Amino acid sequence: MATVGISNPKSRLRLLLLEEHGIGEDPTVWEMDYDGGALPGDPRHTPEKLHKWLTSKKICPCEPRKMAETDLARKMEELSRSNRELEQFAYVASHDLREPLRMVATYTQLLAERYRGKLDRNADQYMEYATDGALRMQALIQDLLELSRVGREGGKKQSIDCDAVLEEVLRDMSSSIRDSGAIIQHEKLPAVTADRCYLLQLFQNLIGNAIKFRAKAPLEISVAAEAEGKYWRFTISDNGIGIAPDCQENIFTVFQRLHARTEYPGNGIGLAICKKIVEQYGGKIWVDSKPGTGSQFKFTLPAGQPCEQGAS
Amino acid sequence: MQGAPEILVVDDNPADAVLVRESLAETSHQSHIYSVTDATEALAYLRRQRKYQMTARPDLVILDLNLVHRDGHKFLTVIKSDSGLRQIPVVVFSSSESLSDITRSYLLGANCYVSKPADLKRYFSAVRAIEEFWFGYASLPKKENDERSSCARIAD
Ligand SMILES: Nc1ncnc2c1ncn2[C@@H]1O[C@H](COP(=O)(O)OP(=O)(O)OP(=O)(O)O)[C@@H](O)[C@H]1O
Ligand SMILES: [Mg+2]
Repeated sequence: MATVGISNPKSRLRLLLLEEHGIGEDPTVWEMDYDGGALPGDPRHTPEKLHKWLTSKKICPCEPRKMAETDLARKMEELSRSNRELEQFAYVASHDLREPLRMVATYTQLLAERYRGKLDRNADQYMEYATDGALRMQALIQDLLELSRVGREGGKKQSIDCDAVLEEVLRDMSSSIRDSGAIIQHEKLPAVTADRCYLLQLFQNLIGNAIKFRAKAPLEISVAAEAEGKYWRFTISDNGIGIAPDCQENIFTVFQRLHARTEYPGNGIGLAICKKIVEQYGGKIWVDSKPGTGSQFKFTLPAGQPCEQGAS
Repeated sequence: MQGAPEILVVDDNPADAVLVRESLAETSHQSHIYSVTDATEALAYLRRQRKYQMTARPDLVILDLNLVHRDGHKFLTVIKSDSGLRQIPVVVFSSSESLSDITRSYLLGANCYVSKPADLKRYFSAVRAIEEFWFGYASLPKKENDERSSCARIAD
């Protein structure tokens, strides 16, 4: 049983056959000239019935498979173009907004500094709000800029040893690791095909989160990797506060966070960046978590050449 | 160094020039600050053309890159290839943090590159550090036209 969707732009008739199970998956598009005659009333037809109707009308479905492919290719092209435009927009907006915003931020600060206590109490409060707002906006724009940079600058595709990357991240974060008392274990990690800078960012964000969202119990973090076809699946586990099931998807959206900033600092950009990095290489990122028990962040990246063979 | 330092600020945003002035208002160097908003005006100032015939040659130029037409780099090229001007130290003071802007500035002969901090306190301390370094620690070349510059000082 198939659903038949019908659209009729002018005299061109397009019939879309969508399999009942996989709507949206590889639709078969039949496109043909249409004489304007009446269409069968019921929008739902079996392909056989439709065929019969088409033949009775002397309409000959033209190479459905090929139509589908060109249609899909066109859609993809459209999509990637609008995607590019969005990236460009985000970059330009965040870049060009920075200057005027710097003026707002510095001058409200200057006002507050010069006139604090010289106007009335309300005025002091207002200036503080204005300064706070400007500074927050600056931080958000900085983050947006960072996010739009990933992808726009098209990361390299090199075989990178994740073991070395993780070591570097742990070294960079050594003071916050020490302060949190975290115990971090990892097995030997494989090489993947990606950009070294992006990998640093990826591990840094995930391990940074594990440290930030820790619970009372002594923090334990582990990093492991498992082969999954041509990909490696990495798992970064912690025993922190965990994430409620209904929030596990949207934390990967930009600026989505589950706590007040006073509770845990941050803007909610880290995971959005991770997602963008991973997806750029055809990978996926997701989380398995139980509130109060801990989280396991998982992501996949295409395998690189094993580092013993002298890949760089 | 004799007399108060002369600093030329080249920045298309007058609000930024005010911030530089504010930063240095209460320091011990009592620098004289002059500001212009575009490259043409800055060159006229340095070459003492037009209304700038009596002005002192600055001891330091503080240059923003984002002038109209993004002229900052061009301006830098011009003064660093002018034998009469290239000994004047130029501090690029720009909101750009991009590595390409930084590298390019040094290649063109900038004496130092400082990114404008977004936070007021850091902005103030950056400008004060620039002043303190160039006029408290660094030794500067002798100005060729000391006579004229002292005239200028009497004049204003
Ligand atoms: N390891 C973790 N344990 C529990 N919750 C987490 C963990 N990692 C992320 N989260 C939740 O997902 C949200 C989004 O994470 P994300 O890294 O995007 O933002 P952030 O860390 O809050 O801010 P930023 O990364 O901008 O500093 C967090 O605010 C937090 O609620
Ligand atoms: Mg984070």
